[in-house]
Amino acid sequence: VIRKKFMQKEEWRVLIDSIPELIEALEADPHSHGMRGLAKAIWEDLGNIARSWERGEPFVWYNLGFNPEIILGFEGVERNCIESQAVLQNLLGDIEYTHGYIDRAEAAGIPPDCCSADKAAVGAIMRGMYPEPACCVGINTPCDSQVMSTQAMAELSGRPLFVIDVPYYDDERTIRHVAMQLFELIPFLQKHTGRKMDWDRLKRACELSNQAVEKIWEWLDLRRAAPLTQSSKLVAFTLVHQVVFCGTQLGVDVAEALAKEARERSERKERFFEERVRAVWYQDPVWTDLQIYDWMEHQLGLTVPVDVFGFYAQEGLIDTSSQESMLYGLARKLVMCQPMSRQFRGNIETYIADFMHMHQAFQADCAIFAGHLACKHAWGGIGLFREACRKAGIPLLVFEFDMFDARITPRDALQTELARFVNEVVWPRKQRKLRKATA
Amino acid sequence: MSAKAHIDKFREVIAGPDNRYIQAWKESGRGVVGYFCSYVPVELISAMGLLPVRLRGAGSTDSGPADAYLSARICTYVRHTLTLALSGRYDYLDGEIGLNTCDHVRRAFDLWRHKTAVGFHGFISVPRNVRDSLFPYFKEEIENLKGALEKHFSKNIGDDDLKKAVAAQNRVRDRMRRIDGFRGEEIPRLSGAEALTVAVASFVMPAEEFVKEADQLIAELEKEQPSGEKPRARLLLAGTELDEPGFVEAVESQGAVVAADSLCFGTRAHQSPVDEGAGDLFEALCQRYFFQTPCARMIGNFSERFEAMMVTIEERKIDGVVFQRLKFCDPWGAEAHKLRLRCKRVGVPLLVLEREYGLVHAGQVRTRVQAFLEMIGASARKTGRGRGRGRGNEART
Repeated sequence: VIRKKFMQKEEWRVLIDSIPELIEALEADPHSHGMRGLAKAIWEDLGNIARSWERGEPFVWYNLGFNPEIILGFEGVERNCIESQAVLQNLLGDIEYTHGYIDRAEAAGIPPDCCSADKAAVGAIMRGMYPEPACCVGINTPCDSQVMSTQAMAELSGRPLFVIDVPYYDDERTIRHVAMQLFELIPFLQKHTGRKMDWDRLKRACELSNQAVEKIWEWLDLRRAAPLTQSSKLVAFTLVHQVVFCGTQLGVDVAEALAKEARERSERKERFFEERVRAVWYQDPVWTDLQIYDWMEHQLGLTVPVDVFGFYAQEGLIDTSSQESMLYGLARKLVMCQPMSRQFRGNIETYIADFMHMHQAFQADCAIFAGHLACKHAWGGIGLFREACRKAGIPLLVFEFDMFDARITPRDALQTELARFVNEVVWPRKQRKLRKATA
Repeated sequence: MSAKAHIDKFREVIAGPDNRYIQAWKESGRGVVGYFCSYVPVELISAMGLLPVRLRGAGSTDSGPADAYLSARICTYVRHTLTLALSGRYDYLDGEIGLNTCDHVRRAFDLWRHKTAVGFHGFISVPRNVRDSLFPYFKEEIENLKGALEKHFSKNIGDDDLKKAVAAQNRVRDRMRRIDGFRGEEIPRLSGAEALTVAVASFVMPAEEFVKEADQLIAELEKEQPSGEKPRARLLLAGTELDEPGFVEAVESQGAVVAADSLCFGTRAHQSPVDEGAGDLFEALCQRYFFQTPCARMIGNFSERFEAMMVTIEERKIDGVVFQRLKFCDPWGAEAHKLRLRCKRVGVPLLVLEREYGLVHAGQVRTRVQAFLEMIGASARKTGRGRGRGRGNEART
């Protein structure tokens, strides 16, 4: 079914051919549960999408600030995150296709300074990469680029759009406001998909979501230990998990695979790289070039135990005891747990406080602000963040790059920045501190 | 005094962050509150006996101080405005109201709180979509702002205070609508740049003073007879925050007139009055602001804005739309894409321009506008249809 539904577009063909190959390659490393688990889950998810597509079931499109559990409460309704094509191509397919989507969107009038994830989403829609939706759900978080992509998805698909407004604040009133809108969303989805909300199904989705969250917390706890025994590049996949897999058994499997790998590697005290310096990677991961993390680990001894996408806040659990409590829990998760939405939707203090927590909890030596070019809500906070780091005595590296468009900053430029920072700032400083402590 | 002399007075008022009206207000011992966006009900501030002043970057020539905090990825409107605040040129403010207008304004609000000496920081979280079910949240936000203002400035807003403030602001809207009419004429007595000059002044002057000046201007304009040739083309100017008449001058320099706009410093801010006869005036005030022609920050409300624009296009016999956007603005970036699709569908010529605040690239703008006007003219000749009825024209950018 996968082949039948996806093989008409070369972009899909490349992905469909490459994922089984990747899974096979990963089988060679018996301890690589995390990456293998993720690749397998993506493969299975594509199978589910293909089957739903084949059966003519309704699809709901949404943007990356949304968590799909509520859609899973509708039997026979399939979900599609419009940014997924860019993520899949960058991580598992061919990044040139992402570049193609970006160029297509820009040619259609999307400004170049918008986020490449969203430009790629628009380009992928224009290219007809996704099964047509019955309706769309748009949320205003994490950033203004979502204002662009959500409206483009509605305009291009011609389907009704339901907008979820997440306010500025972090309080109870905000969560109730979002929960009220999730309640409003249900009749909207019923009307446009022609399916009924099944509260038992939603309960099951919330339970699976909770199981996955618990495992992700366990996984992140294991990553606190120094030295880090598991690859740095894995941590940002928490976002993929949250946007695509939460509420599914696949999500539980991925979370368990990540935790299992960390657990086994820590038990074996395995160190396949020499850790010298630990960083909180406090912005977007380099999804144009995952191998750069391997280079960082092996060449610089630089590890990333946690990043802003990987951090999973404490408000992730959903109370499944009633319909109201589930909607409340889902709303709380959207407001408080979604990476970036949590840190940037409101005041900058949350962003800085989360960093300080991560820096301490994950025993970091420094901060790396990998500034995704179009991430205005983050760049706008750079001055206060820099001051906070200075005050706390934390070395900070700031550089510009684009997490989906490899044409912006070449690999060697990133390597130069990282190498200089680690070798000339952080590592000498850490050695001085160690010497002082020893003396 | 001629109409031109009146316009010059307004021009002087908007030249910088401060003006003689604000100074006189302060000298009389009264407070001033700055605010960021057209979703702030200024009547609440006026009802407190305070002067609402819309925050702008006019008078800033170097955004360096703000760049150090915000980076160069934030729009230049916000950077210049913050620069003025960081360099003390907004020190006369007794308070400031921020919003979640966009990523940029939100981040600027952090810095207003941390890096300025302004004593009061109010905030409104405006829902990102206009629909009935979200109105109660907006109303509650306005109630909270009212409470915060009352607490900080130790004054309660009485019914009469609000009534007077609403009436005064409606008079401002009324005068602006009348002034706007002069640039919509077949041979306009007012240019688009002049209309914007007056509109911007209405945001930085006490309402009573503005109305007095505006009445004099209207009287002068009514005395003048339309003269000269018909403009080469009649344009509608839409897009991002724009409080710089110099940009409009550059657009009009090729013989066209900006006969209408869809700007938050222009027509959008003045088009709908608060219902003074409403039983619950506070509710009516909130409704006016929440259900106004939406800004592009509102997700999913493009159709309302586009339909309102189409009505204006009909009424003012518009030949083409010039859409301008401040670099890095995502909400209006989305608009550029949707406008292209819709304008093409309905056959309205569209020109998309990018700009930076405080720096009018007059040469570039002129060249682009000139080419656009030629395209409109050629298209009109080809279809055999006159200007102002450009439905047969295919949109090009």
